[in-house]
Amino acid sequence: MAEQEILLVGRGLTKRYGGVTALSNVDFELRAGEVLGLVGPNGAGKTTLVDLISGAQPATAGELMLRGTKLTGPASRRARAGLARTFQYPQLALELSVRDNLLLGRAARRHATPWQMVVRAFAGALRPHAPADDAAIQEIADELGITGLDRLAGDLTLGEQRLVEVGRALGQDPLVLLLDEPFAGSDARGVEGIAEVIRTVQRRGHGVILVDHNVDLVASLVDRIMLLDRGQVAFNGDPRECLASPEMQRVYFGSDIDDETGEGTGDAPQAEVQDVRS
Amino acid sequence: MTVKTSTVQLRRSEPRSGLGGLILGAIAALLILLWVGSNGYKQTLVMSAVTYALIALGMYVPYLMAGSLSMAYSAYAGIGGYAVGLISTKTGLPMVVAWIIGPIVAAVLAVVLGLVTSRLSGFFLAAVTLLFGMAFTAFLIDAESITGGSGGLGNLRPLNLLGWTPTPYQMMVISVIIVCLTAFLLDRMRLSPWGVIVRTMRDAPRAVEAAGVRVPVLNLVALAIGAAIAAVGGALFTYTAGSITPETFTLNVVFLAIFMPLIGGSGTPWGAVAGAVIAVELTLNFPALETSGTLLLALGVLIILLVAPHGVIGYADKLRTRLWASLRKEPHGG
Amino acid sequence: MTDLQLWLSAVEMGCFFGMLALAYHLIYVGAGFFNFAIGPYAMMGGLCTSWLVITYDLGVWTAATISVIVTLILAIVTELGVVRPVQKRSGSGELPALVAVAAVLFAIQQLAGYVFGYPTLPGQSLATFGPVTIGDVTIQPSSVLMIVIAVVTFVVTAFWIRFTRTGRLLRAVGDSNHAAALLGLPVNRIRLIAFLVAGFIAALAGILFAPKAGVHSLSGLAWSLSGFLAMVVGGTGSVWAPLLGGMLLGLVEVFLPYYFGGQAHVYGMLVIALIFFAFKPQGLFVRTVRA
Repeated sequence: MAEQEILLVGRGLTKRYGGVTALSNVDFELRAGEVLGLVGPNGAGKTTLVDLISGAQPATAGELMLRGTKLTGPASRRARAGLARTFQYPQLALELSVRDNLLLGRAARRHATPWQMVVRAFAGALRPHAPADDAAIQEIADELGITGLDRLAGDLTLGEQRLVEVGRALGQDPLVLLLDEPFAGSDARGVEGIAEVIRTVQRRGHGVILVDHNVDLVASLVDRIMLLDRGQVAFNGDPRECLASPEMQRVYFGSDIDDETGEGTGDAPQAEVQDVRS
Repeated sequence: MTVKTSTVQLRRSEPRSGLGGLILGAIAALLILLWVGSNGYKQTLVMSAVTYALIALGMYVPYLMAGSLSMAYSAYAGIGGYAVGLISTKTGLPMVVAWIIGPIVAAVLAVVLGLVTSRLSGFFLAAVTLLFGMAFTAFLIDAESITGGSGGLGNLRPLNLLGWTPTPYQMMVISVIIVCLTAFLLDRMRLSPWGVIVRTMRDAPRAVEAAGVRVPVLNLVALAIGAAIAAVGGALFTYTAGSITPETFTLNVVFLAIFMPLIGGSGTPWGAVAGAVIAVELTLNFPALETSGTLLLALGVLIILLVAPHGVIGYADKLRTRLWASLRKEPHGG
Repeated sequence: MTDLQLWLSAVEMGCFFGMLALAYHLIYVGAGFFNFAIGPYAMMGGLCTSWLVITYDLGVWTAATISVIVTLILAIVTELGVVRPVQKRSGSGELPALVAVAAVLFAIQQLAGYVFGYPTLPGQSLATFGPVTIGDVTIQPSSVLMIVIAVVTFVVTAFWIRFTRTGRLLRAVGDSNHAAALLGLPVNRIRLIAFLVAGFIAALAGILFAPKAGVHSLSGLAWSLSGFLAMVVGGTGSVWAPLLGGMLLGLVEVFLPYYFGGQAHVYGMLVIALIFFAFKPQGLFVRTVRA
């Protein structure tokens, strides 16, 4: 396979606060068209890593490069550089409609500079409604299987809300899509919708970082998996190898002995992963 | 994917034109203007309503849309008023300039105050901005050489628009038109993508940042727009009243301006206007109630807060939706 | 700065602000929010007392008792009728509670104006004795009362918080509202007690302070802001912290106009608010969590 362009690089990413080291010296690489899975037990640092990448939290040490340029500054600057993300607990405007929540992703780039913000306020007063936006939002909604665009976001189920968040991120047409636990609470159709989005982003030559608890599901969708354990990278490589690896055993079950899982899809432990560790 | 249907709350998103509000508002405005006729007292009432409405509309963008309550609006209205006073008495510029300079100065001040208080919210922000309003009044009293001290400024030159000077009645009509236009434009702003982003900023600022919009900056823009609108109101009031003192726009005004959208309804800017009309009616025009009008208003606000948090318009709208639903006998979905 | 009379004035104001701040502190600890109606409670205490004395020729102590009771009723209504329902309905949002409290503040002011009229009424001293003279400083009886009773209030409150069951329950609720509810502590009852004690202290403060410069229906707003500021400056670390914050503001209130004229204390308050809110919102006395 030809070497794809490197989209996103993280080197030595560290996060410490109040005596706790959430992340320690994490390195990773994301290439164009690649999907990187991020797994690990609760408290391993998965969301912290996503926060460091997206700029929601400042890093204690380390650096990030997006397409060769340093990625710094507040989350909004990084978003404009080409990142988009969803959150572990959906951040939606619950009093607004699904359509309006999707609109945010698409309209944000037109409101980037202070000057734009002022001009757009008045432009909005003159012309509140753009058919181009409607068409784009409908396309995203169709892709994800979101219906009832005029419902209020607060009336949706958790799974539906996560879908809308993904739709919003998609509207930003990002270079790198960061999905933080998008599958929790979703039904089969929701999962398929998101999986389809991941494949579409890949085809466009962009990248995806996928965080989730469902290791089995993640492994089936990604090109590479990174296993985090207490803030450090325990494994970084092929998904199938990861599932069968001793690191996986150790991190999730705390021991290398009693290796029950054979090679292949790794059936028994994964599905119940949530129950075993705290 | 299960679709939840609630029977009464079949909430639909609204059409994006804002015309509905404008039509109703225009009709109401017309009725009010007819009611006033040439009665001088009624004209004063309308001007008071206009001023309150514009101050409340000024608070609409940062407070009701962006969710941050600044109480500095007496200062912004005062800036508009003193712009009229200063341009009239200290310069030879045409009076119309006051409606340009006043809002700009108010907007700049709002941005400065916003920068200084950028990390504050809720009670702290309210307290600091209240203190700022008091400090501004203190400044007006102290800076006697510029502002005329506690005596204020008076004896204003008449407006001269290309040779035409509007009569008091015409000035009132112009003011009412400005209020309607502002409410209409704010309504459309609210429905536009800009409005959606600002309203999302209120409940989910992390999402707005993650989408690429710098929240503190957008907040400042909202504050600036609000301050400018309030200044327009202050300027209009001062011009028609003929004078301004440090006591013209008191902190009382700010409280009333907060309560107006509450009374009228916070879903649309027209609620602020409706609330202003109701407030002025109660406090200034009910001879039977005399001084207790404001008290009734205060008690009314408390009742509305507890019983009908979406104000008069919201309540009426809820009743309308319920009526509609029962008339159409909507099936219970599942 | 050696003018003792000025220092006395500052201490007196400091005691007043300190008591208001203590009222804020108690409600913040017990109910978790800032009751901006504290100023109007104080105003009620002072104005009602004066009005009863002047209009109905009642004895000061009778009038004061009635006023305190009226204020306590207002405090109960604030908590049960307004704050609790609004907080229950809107959960964690700060804005509804803020607007509700602003409405209460406004309503009490209007109520006072309607019942007692709008002109400023002179305060009524709880006890009359000759002015005390120490050196070249003359202390009015009302000032003596203000300072002495303020200190007594703080001592009693400190004792109450540390040694009585209800007081310690109040601290427990303040440390963690959620945990307290889970533990089965009577959170609602404690909230109410906090409101009552705070209302009492505020009313008392208003009665004591009114003789200094009179009181009218709109006095409450400025007092609310001063009390809030004093509380924030002092911090939540100790029961005595509000007094410290009050004293600092008392100095500002008296010495700034002395040196800089006119309205300087208003600017001073604004600057202090900006500094403390932005940089040190925990105030001067920070409570450290025992590990």
